[in-house]
Amino acid sequence: MHELSIAQSIVELALHEADKNKADTVTEVDVNVGEVMQVDPEILRKALGALMTGPRLAGAQVRVRLEPAYFSCRKCGSEWDMVEAKKQLSQVPDSLLIREPDSKELPLHFLPDLCAAFIRCPACGSSDFSAVRGDDVRVMRVVLE
Amino acid sequence: MSIRPVASLNDLQAQVRLRRVRRVILVGSGKGGVGKSFVACGLALGMAKRGFRTAILDVDVHGASVPNYLELQPPVHSSKSGLEPKKTAGLKAMSVALFTGDDPVPLGGDEKQELIVKLFALTNWGPLDYLVVDLPPSTGDELRSVLRLFGQKATLVLVTTPSPRALSVVSRLRRLAESEKLSVAGVVLNMAHYERGKKKTFPFGKPDAELVHRLLNSAVIAQIPLDPRVNSESLSDVLRGRTKMSSAFDSLIESLTANLGR
Repeated sequence: MHELSIAQSIVELALHEADKNKADTVTEVDVNVGEVMQVDPEILRKALGALMTGPRLAGAQVRVRLEPAYFSCRKCGSEWDMVEAKKQLSQVPDSLLIREPDSKELPLHFLPDLCAAFIRCPACGSSDFSAVRGDDVRVMRVVLE
Repeated sequence: MSIRPVASLNDLQAQVRLRRVRRVILVGSGKGGVGKSFVACGLALGMAKRGFRTAILDVDVHGASVPNYLELQPPVHSSKSGLEPKKTAGLKAMSVALFTGDDPVPLGGDEKQELIVKLFALTNWGPLDYLVVDLPPSTGDELRSVLRLFGQKATLVLVTTPSPRALSVVSRLRRLAESEKLSVAGVVLNMAHYERGKKKTFPFGKPDAELVHRLLNSAVIAQIPLDPRVNSESLSDVLRGRTKMSSAFDSLIESLTANLGR
């Protein structure tokens, strides 16, 4: 469900850039999807395909790339990936999972900035860490004509 | 031409949501313990009760307490229009605590700023007459996000106790509002007095409107008494009766709606 909303925002951003740069059409859009959000790139790609219609968007090439998540502890210097993070995220209580119409999702699916509320450094237990990459959806490039 | 977009997805989505919000009322103090969340919730409940389309956004990331006052619990539901705000007594509400429950939220500056933008941008508020924003005690990252998000649509209500010590701290937020060109609707003196029978006491000193005006360059628009019932009963119930507290909130709402337009 959230994939559709993300796709709508990407389309708005592409059109916003086209307007800002006085371009007629959008020909390419490159999107990075952070692994933390557990967004399905294929669903996002399909949603974008369905939304990118009309004279300014139809035919645009869309690339959606899954960006692996990577965390680094500011306290002890340890680094870890999503495999480790998922072990901890599996412990998030059911009462906090977002109720989607046909599924339940982690809060990070919508609010990836909440990592430190649900994940701790596997080495020292600190919440003082940063997501070095793979923590959000970003439009990396829009090509206009 | 190839462009690397500067605007974020959420910034644009926030702008779209904000088009459907008439006015944003920031409830802040720059100081802890003066009852900002209590005043913000009482104000929002009162506006909703009067038929205004009203929502409250809790941006106190570390000390979110709006769900406590409004008796709201996780989980949040989502729909094709976004995250659905919780609804109570005709009021819509969103808070980070609805995602984290009683767990701590140890976020740094950038994470907090992004989180606040997303909380507003992803929530399906619908059309609103008033969005009440409960600010945290600090004048840091959260306030920056809020000023960037709501800009010209926002006005500030300053909350303080009558204590001169509190007033001098609150004056920092007042000065920040001036430099940010943020309009100030007035000052709410919370815990202004306590009445038991015919005896009236002033636990934080007798309110001094002249001192308030001198330090905060704004008029007192409401004086809210202490009422111990807020500790044991729901705020909605406390405000439902005809009490000194509910009258004080009525005055606050009258003043704000007259100032901001109905």
